[in-house]
Amino acid sequence: MILTRTFRAMGTDVELFLAADPGPASDAALYAAEREFERVEALLSRFRPDSELSALNRDGHVAAGEDLLTVVELALEARERTNGRFDPTVHDALVGAGYDRTFEEVAREGASSGGGGRCGGEVTVDRARGSIRLEPGIHVDLGGIGKGYTVDRAAAILSSAGPALVDAGGDIAALGRPDALGWRVGIETAEDTLTLALEDAAVATSGRDRRHWRRDGEERHHLIDPSTGRPADADLVRVTVVERTAVEADVLAKSLFLAGEAGATAEATALGLPCVLVTADGRTVIAGGLS
Amino acid sequence: MTNHVVRLYAFTGAVLVLFLTWAAVAARPWASHAAAKADPRWAALAAREHRLRHEALVVQRVVARRWRVYRVRLAARQRAISTAVRRHQQQLAAARAAAAAAAASYASAPSYSAPSSGGYSAPAAPSVRVVTLPPVTITRTS
Repeated sequence: MILTRTFRAMGTDVELFLAADPGPASDAALYAAEREFERVEALLSRFRPDSELSALNRDGHVAAGEDLLTVVELALEARERTNGRFDPTVHDALVGAGYDRTFEEVAREGASSGGGGRCGGEVTVDRARGSIRLEPGIHVDLGGIGKGYTVDRAAAILSSAGPALVDAGGDIAALGRPDALGWRVGIETAEDTLTLALEDAAVATSGRDRRHWRRDGEERHHLIDPSTGRPADADLVRVTVVERTAVEADVLAKSLFLAGEAGATAEATALGLPCVLVTADGRTVIAGGLS
Repeated sequence: MTNHVVRLYAFTGAVLVLFLTWAAVAARPWASHAAAKADPRWAALAAREHRLRHEALVVQRVVARRWRVYRVRLAARQRAISTAVRRHQQQLAAARAAAAAAAASYASAPSYSAPSSGGYSAPAAPSVRVVTLPPVTITRTS
């Protein structure tokens, strides 16, 4: 039996799926997974003034808890691995593009900030002292990785009660399998929906077709190219990546989006990274050995 | 003078006779008491009063019986509710304890790693393939 729970967190609708019989154990797992979203969001949201991330951006340094230390370390490691295409220091560029409030508010009220933002600043994590320090003038946004981190944690908690799937907007983690085929997840292509059967896998979709707005008569979106500090001008609309964890899938989806169709296809093929690309001219490209 | 006194006595006597006659007529000595009691309206009213008193007694007995039944059922229902609330609280306490244990065990992990918990260990590469079945969920752009 598939048990479900739906709630809102991190600016999106979150759905939990658990293949288990109803009872105290499954209820406990669903409850714990939902609480995990609330807990991590309270730490990592840049829209909450009392979060650890907001304290870091406000003061330039913070005595961080385990979660913030881990996510910042993962983000910095991803910056190295993707040659800077994924960068947690895009905060000011995002604000400059107008994404200075929760997306619901940006979409409702329109963007109001001005200017671009500098990316690639120095972020120092001192795990021994449990502290993080930012280069002066640099601020961090963990929106590109924090949700994947939370999805992975929630899925792990949920899977203590049985095969589990966590769907938080563009990030999905599936652990175990509810039947012989695995968890079936639909991927939107240019024409239709492609269904993938997953087991112990994660899916992340990044694109400019949902979180976008207009400013100064110009279309803006939230995927910042750190090399320019402006919304990426890619020939792709949407990239979906299948990886082992939602964190990895999240990072690679954004990185491939910035690489563009040719670069993303070549990179996915070389890495054997299953991915689905939707191009700006309405084509669907499947790469990375997905068949 | 004598005639004047006589006329006065005569007038007083006439007034007295008139008053007594009026009193006698007003007393209606010809209307008997039995006739008054025999008025059918009185009988109907008395019968109706009797019937209403009887019906009131019947209603009171019915209400009393129903009230007793209601009190018995209410007590049984309250016992059932108490049992259900107690059972629900026990389940809730068990769920909270299990959730706290699950969260604590996961939070105690020293550092981030690929999600593996509850016997579901992630393999080196994700298992993925295209199928033609309807999806459980559809991914959205983040």
